[in-house]
Amino acid sequence: MAEILGAFEQAVLLAILRLGEDAYGRAILKEVQARLEREVAAGAVHATLERLARKGLVVSRLGPGTPVRSGRARRFYRVQTKGVRALNDARATVEGLWQGLRWPLRGCV
Amino acid sequence: MTATAYPPRWAEALLRAFLKPGDFESVSGDLLEQYRDSIYPARGRRRADWWYARQMFAFVSPGARFFAALFSAQFLTRTALDWFVPLLDFHTRSTVSTVLGVGTLLAAGFYAAWRSDSFATGAIAGVVTAGLASVTSITGAAGMLAIWHDPQTMTAIRGSGGLDEIFCLPLMMVFPGLLLGAGGGVACTALKSLLFLAKSR
Repeated sequence: MAEILGAFEQAVLLAILRLGEDAYGRAILKEVQARLEREVAAGAVHATLERLARKGLVVSRLGPGTPVRSGRARRFYRVQTKGVRALNDARATVEGLWQGLRWPLRGCV
Repeated sequence: MTATAYPPRWAEALLRAFLKPGDFESVSGDLLEQYRDSIYPARGRRRADWWYARQMFAFVSPGARFFAALFSAQFLTRTALDWFVPLLDFHTRSTVSTVLGVGTLLAAGFYAAWRSDSFATGAIAGVVTAGLASVTSITGAAGMLAIWHDPQTMTAIRGSGGLDEIFCLPLMMVFPGLLLGAGGGVACTALKSLLFLAKSR
């Protein structure tokens, strides 16, 4: 059965795809904040990444740190085939729900 | 200047205690990068430290918040029962609420230790759970008192230990929270060791 993704999970997965090779914790957080246009707690993104990894939708590896992080390692994420499929399903579901309706909706229907 | 700024040590220590060992370096690195890059220059030391503490809390509190909500729900239920269904002998009711409270704090310690692979985290989780629960319990009890303060209810309150007990008992649970959380942590560590031994045979 296809994985059902929440809106925030989709935001995180899409951020990883957009960032490509540079998709590590802080960069993902910044991208999600920019796309959602609101403050997001780092803990919320971390919990989502952990959940996505448990579901097998993303994998991670540790990479080198930078001076501003006092050399502490960065965890880089990559979306797996299963994650891409889940995103496609999520998009198809939303499009199916909207089929036949004109956007934006106006007044009472 | 900001490249050498460090967030509060106690907050980093709590973060280390609550996160899995493999996650601490990357998570604390992300927070440190944001702290130095954008928060500290924009907000200054005190507000940046406050920001860091809130971020840290978001990492450590999901488990503790659940158990704190459970703990304060038990406390408020017991308070409501004592006020509206008063008894002459509170022994059974006290025994049940004590067992439930002890169980909740043990479970909070066990859960935190399970997630972090560190029994010390259990003790911290016990304190955080009891601390959070004391705030919500006292606030909830104050709200109840603001609504129900008729003579009959006030008599029931006096008969069940008085206002002192309602407003002091939750705060007094912080130390038992430390001990019981540590107990849960030890139980978790023992169980994990047993599971490891069973697997390696």
